[in-house]
Amino acid sequence: MTTGVVLTAAAILMAVGVGGVSWVLFFSHRSHHPATPGKPNNKEVKDHHKGQPTQADNLQASAESDVEHIFNDEFREELRNRGRLHFEKIIGENAMFLQQDLRLTTSQLNEYMKAEITRKLQEEFNKYEQSIMDAKQLAIDSIEKTNAAVDEQRKLLGTQLQEQINQEKARTLERFEANMADIVNHYVLAAIGNQIDLSDQLEYILNDLETNKQAIIADLTNGS
Amino acid sequence: MDHNAPAETKAAPAILPTDIVTPADMTRLIRELTTLDDFLRQASVRKGGTPVKVPATSRNLEAAVKSFGANLLQPEDRAQLLKKLDHLRLTAPQIHISFAADPSAAFTDKIVTWLRQNIHPELLVQVGLQPSIAAGCIVRTTNRQFDFSLRRHFADNRPLLAQKIKDMAA
Repeated sequence: MTTGVVLTAAAILMAVGVGGVSWVLFFSHRSHHPATPGKPNNKEVKDHHKGQPTQADNLQASAESDVEHIFNDEFREELRNRGRLHFEKIIGENAMFLQQDLRLTTSQLNEYMKAEITRKLQEEFNKYEQSIMDAKQLAIDSIEKTNAAVDEQRKLLGTQLQEQINQEKARTLERFEANMADIVNHYVLAAIGNQIDLSDQLEYILNDLETNKQAIIADLTNGS
Repeated sequence: MDHNAPAETKAAPAILPTDIVTPADMTRLIRELTTLDDFLRQASVRKGGTPVKVPATSRNLEAAVKSFGANLLQPEDRAQLLKKLDHLRLTAPQIHISFAADPSAAFTDKIVTWLRQNIHPELLVQVGLQPSIAAGCIVRTTNRQFDFSLRRHFADNRPLLAQKIKDMAA
């Protein structure tokens, strides 16, 4: 885009230059090849072809002679100088206009380029921002999914752990209840086992023997 | 409860002395009596005036002699006593009692006395040691076992124990 604008400005400058040079060449040609004073017009040609010099011809010849006398080289040089000055003035004015146009064009070009660059940057920034937003949204979605999966897994693990704890507790309780008598007995034995005197147990033992006396007698009597 | 009450089932046999408790005691008594009988039999064929040293008798033998009312100087009494003791060794009922600790002699005497007065007068008792029962005893007869231990009582009252523990935990 910027290259196109520069090319356009260069083309304008070239056209203006070519126009100026053509104009200079045109005037220069006119100055070097002025209109032939002795060239007859159509009517004179007709008269000339008649073969008789007329008064008009004489007048024409004297006019031409006067012209040659009036528009001599000095006069022409003066005219040429005037033309040159006028051309330089025109060239200067055109150069000024051209400079103004160039400044205006450059300013417009700068404005245009600034606007284009700003617009392009804004578009790129918008795209970049949109990409960032998309990536951010994607990351948020992914994180949310991961969080949901982790929560689900945590709940599942919690449930399984609780079930296992309950099962282990039930097993431990069951084992404890099954072996409770042995546990208490072991505890009593470890705690006061050495302090239980057999003499103190005599009454207890004799009571048990008395309770089972008949069974013992029966077994001793009937046993082999 | 009267622990010295006599057995109502059998009354005929004489009660063994409490010093003779185990079958091993009975075997040792028979061996001692046999040795003494041999000695006295040999002494009877010696010439008069020959000095002899009569072997010392154990307390168990003296108790048995006293219990059965025998005269050891009479060969017939010795033979009869030997025969009776041998018969007892072979036929006397036996039980095995395990305690948590090694019982004292006095404690064993009381138990044996009660057993011979209430169960059988010629009962021989083997005493064992089983520390795991904590307290009480385990009586093993010919075909049965009677668990009078504290462990057994705990096992019998396990629901009560569990209930108490639950009440305390609640």
